[in-house]
Amino acid sequence: MGKLEGKVACITGGTRSIGRGMAEAFLAEGAKVVVNGRSEEKGAAALAEMTNAGLASGDNAAFFAGDASKQETVEGLIDFTIETYGQLDICCLNSGGVNMTAPVAQMSDEEWNLEIDWNLNHVFWGMRRSLQHMIPREAGRVIVTSSVEGKLGKPGIPGYAATKHAVNGLVKAAAHEVGTLGITVNSILPGLIETDIVRDTGPASAEAMGMESYEALLDAFAQESSIKRLNTVEEVAAVAVYLASDAARNMTGTMFPVDGGTMPY
Amino acid sequence: MGMLEGKVACITGGTRGIGRATAEAYLREGAQVVINGRSEEKGQQAIEEIGAGDALHFIPADVKTREGCESIVNGTVDRYGQIDILFANAGGATGHAPVADLEDWALQDSMQWNFWHTFWSMQTALKHMIPQNGGRIICCSSVEGKMGKPGVSIYVAAKHAINGLVKSAAQEVGPLGITVNAVCPGAIETDVMLAEGPPAAEAMGMTYQELLDWFASESAIKRLNEVEDVAELCVLLASEAGGGISGSLISIDGGTAPY
Repeated sequence: MGKLEGKVACITGGTRSIGRGMAEAFLAEGAKVVVNGRSEEKGAAALAEMTNAGLASGDNAAFFAGDASKQETVEGLIDFTIETYGQLDICCLNSGGVNMTAPVAQMSDEEWNLEIDWNLNHVFWGMRRSLQHMIPREAGRVIVTSSVEGKLGKPGIPGYAATKHAVNGLVKAAAHEVGTLGITVNSILPGLIETDIVRDTGPASAEAMGMESYEALLDAFAQESSIKRLNTVEEVAAVAVYLASDAARNMTGTMFPVDGGTMPY
Repeated sequence: MGMLEGKVACITGGTRGIGRATAEAYLREGAQVVINGRSEEKGQQAIEEIGAGDALHFIPADVKTREGCESIVNGTVDRYGQIDILFANAGGATGHAPVADLEDWALQDSMQWNFWHTFWSMQTALKHMIPQNGGRIICCSSVEGKMGKPGVSIYVAAKHAINGLVKSAAQEVGPLGITVNAVCPGAIETDVMLAEGPPAAEAMGMTYQELLDWFASESAIKRLNEVEDVAELCVLLASEAGGGISGSLISIDGGTAPY
């Protein structure tokens, strides 16, 4: 029997990369899963691929289209999940990133506001909506994808560092609010993983960070770690399964590192 | 198939409490396991109670000595041919007092029990793991490895020291496929806690029950942790999927530590 048999999960940004890894791991453990993404096409492809892999079938996986930096998408995803599967046990607020990051002195209001909406407000909207469902049921798991930058701060990505720090604070406060109700709230802090978003925005980020190339950016993250390599989607997905399972019922308010030994605390 | 199929684990302590729960979890996941304790009698009792046959072995030794730690780790290799996972779990403290009244022996004993035992076990295990380019070392720290309560400085200092050792060692062996992590549990009412909690509470100016209540009230879950909480985390860290986690001080404290 899977570790998540009978559970229902939703994941913001789950068609590719970390969210997709979580979706596949959750399905493998017996959960029903709703993934989200902006593109209908990518959503359909994700469902087809997970079906071909023997993980998804017609009645255990669904897609909800929308931009996770928008309140209506995040709240809509949670409502859709509950309408579709009757409950929500695991809410993974995973989507996030940057578009055209820049050092503080050159940061545009537009980019700053996008990062606040995408990385911080999306987590707040999703956490609030899911807790409103979980509190009466006295059960649930909220899992937030933070980052190694939620404890550190590299130059050139001030919005990302600030919002990832902010979600860690949100997680700690919320964990205390609902800790006696059988609901846990945790964040996962991955080191750099070469996801689609990193491939898309990494070159511009590397430039903003004053690095020679995208490869130099990847190498800088790897060299800061103990394991001298980037992390993988599967490593984060395994921690998400653990946090979602009964095994982690007494772990809450924790910033769970999956960074190969990068952060000092 | 279990998450630890084909793996060999060595657990210092392990006849009772967190170590025992972790041994049972590792066995469930397919590992062969060595547990340790000072008392042959408690060791045999644990072996009988767990009933895992050849997959479980007991090595009597005192972790407060280098020879004891070496005999546990090397004895694991002698018994099962390898060591893939070390859980340096034993620990505790006796002779608690406020710093102004603390006696040298109490700090020295706590450092040997917690810190030196972790160092000796880790060093011995690394001599096996480095040539095999793989391994998992998990050290039992504590919420007190990140925080500090009055009256228990001997425990707090030793657990903080373990966390520092973990961070350095992780950097040293990271590229070799060996991870080194600490788990930082909140208060759990284990045998050691039942024995050492009352005198610790006295040193802190309160009753044992008040001490337990204090720990629980500081957490988000408003209750103590359980040995199974730590055991499950130790399974994840010991598994293949834990290969990307190193140098981490992972709290399993119901939301107590601030970082």
